[in-house]
Amino acid sequence: MERIPCTGCSLLCDDIIVRSDGLFIDEVIGACLKGKERFDQLTSNNRLLNPMIRENGVLEKSSWEDALNKTINIIKNSSNPLLYGFSNVNCEAQLKAIELARKIDGFIDSNSTICQGKVLNMAKDTGITLTTITEVINKADLIVLWGANAAESIPRLLNKVLFSRGKFRMTGREIKTLIIIDPVKIASFNVMGVRDLALQIQPNKDLELIRMLKEECCVADSIPSEGVAGIDNYDLKRLLLHLSEAENGVVIVGQGILQPQSESTIIRELLELIQMINLKQQKGRISFIMMGGHFNMAGFDHIALSTCGKNENLKFKNNELVESNDNIVSKINKEDFDCSIIVGTDPISHLPHNLSQKLASKPIIAIDNRKSATTLIADVVLPTAITGIETGGIVYRLDHVPIELKTILKPPNNLPSDEDLLNQILDKLNKT
Amino acid sequence: MELYKYLPKTNCKKCGKPTCMAFALDLLQGKVKVDDCTPFLEEAKYKKQYNELKQLLGAEEGKKKELRIDVDEELCDGCGICVTVCPVNARYCPPTLSGKAPDYPPEKHQLFQIKAGKCELLNIKHCRRLEAEGRERECRVCETYCPRKAVKIDYV
Repeated sequence: MERIPCTGCSLLCDDIIVRSDGLFIDEVIGACLKGKERFDQLTSNNRLLNPMIRENGVLEKSSWEDALNKTINIIKNSSNPLLYGFSNVNCEAQLKAIELARKIDGFIDSNSTICQGKVLNMAKDTGITLTTITEVINKADLIVLWGANAAESIPRLLNKVLFSRGKFRMTGREIKTLIIIDPVKIASFNVMGVRDLALQIQPNKDLELIRMLKEECCVADSIPSEGVAGIDNYDLKRLLLHLSEAENGVVIVGQGILQPQSESTIIRELLELIQMINLKQQKGRISFIMMGGHFNMAGFDHIALSTCGKNENLKFKNNELVESNDNIVSKINKEDFDCSIIVGTDPISHLPHNLSQKLASKPIIAIDNRKSATTLIADVVLPTAITGIETGGIVYRLDHVPIELKTILKPPNNLPSDEDLLNQILDKLNKT
Repeated sequence: MELYKYLPKTNCKKCGKPTCMAFALDLLQGKVKVDDCTPFLEEAKYKKQYNELKQLLGAEEGKKKELRIDVDEELCDGCGICVTVCPVNARYCPPTLSGKAPDYPPEKHQLFQIKAGKCELLNIKHCRRLEAEGRERECRVCETYCPRKAVKIDYV
């Protein structure tokens, strides 16, 4: 039976068995609750099926012609458009979106900016060792979850990296050590074995811990006897021993490390610490996996890096990339835009209230396959097919491995894919 | 373990079991009765222990108990750790070795599968707690490693 990749989260499990009669999906076997919800979106009430435009303050159904004309109107009347989202669409659509931004002199940014994108940016200075899930299955003997609630946010991640048996790790769970560093007693603490290490760190003390470990790497026995950040001396010694003696360790960093807005120093110092340990020990190494949420978050980084040379804050002027230090948050905060095109995400409910208020005050063109807070207040809503089920394409997994998605069903109402829709907008802009 | 404390611990093999530990396990599952342990009745020094054990087991003694694995649908999020760690699954469904979902339709020995985002117990006949010998019989991995504590092994 054919196995297809699931687009429920960034792990993109490629072993899902789907039984369908060509019109609906009957059974989904092997997918977790998140993946099942993704497949359920096909028939959910939340699905967008018709384009809508706002007239006299009311959002109403309209024809494709009218909706596209209004889109073109809004874009034509603006001089400083903002394009945001792109973590729930395939790479082909992301490429088209960058083309569109270049055409309309826009500012384009993805969800990756406020998540894992900054790790790649930091890595330009410090260097980074990346790894893949397959390599972790086959070779890893140490797994560190740092601020990553793997058991709840990406349910099958622990199953794949910790419990599965690989080529050089035939005993699976028995040979792999798990270390969890987290301020909260998350569900992953429940899979702890005897040899594993659970470190309940005090909130906002990660930087202290990292600095202490760096110091200990240079000068032995510099751990204070009372411990650091709520972790005692004995546990710290064990942590450092595990890190420096691992043959093939992997540090999985999650939202706890990636999300805090001002604390980009944490990521820099963590990268430096891992580089220090890797330099010090000869036989093994520690590598990184960034745990993003949306299924193609890593894709935008790759597409933007290969087309523009940088992966965030892309501002175009007269078809050329110009210097810009703004990111999506500061851009909205300064209200430095006059319309926004939101693709496949829901910033109105994700961003803080004062930012979403500012975003809502300007015209919004929302391109998505489901209803959300953003589509409710948008001026134009353009529905699309669901990526991964009704349209294929290339997407990047959380470990930066490209995966090809498959088309298994036809979209209802002949909905276009994200790529087609952006192409239509580009064509119309070229004609007028 | 609780029951084992009260037994003579001499491993005399008179009951037909290799050790007193094995006798205690079968006693828990209701396969044997306390009276099957002959030294208890014959030797006077065990009199007190015998009475205490009788009291502990109470009316439940001798009732045959059945193995049951409960999966809490509310708690389960379909992570598939039970599918991967189950030794019976690993033997008969090779894809589960590397963390993949097993084939469909399921193999006849397969214990767990993930369907519609929830774990589903297919059949319990081939569980190690029923089929295996010796220490393998005390297998509890699905319960131990469930991060949501949704799997419970019980004798009723």
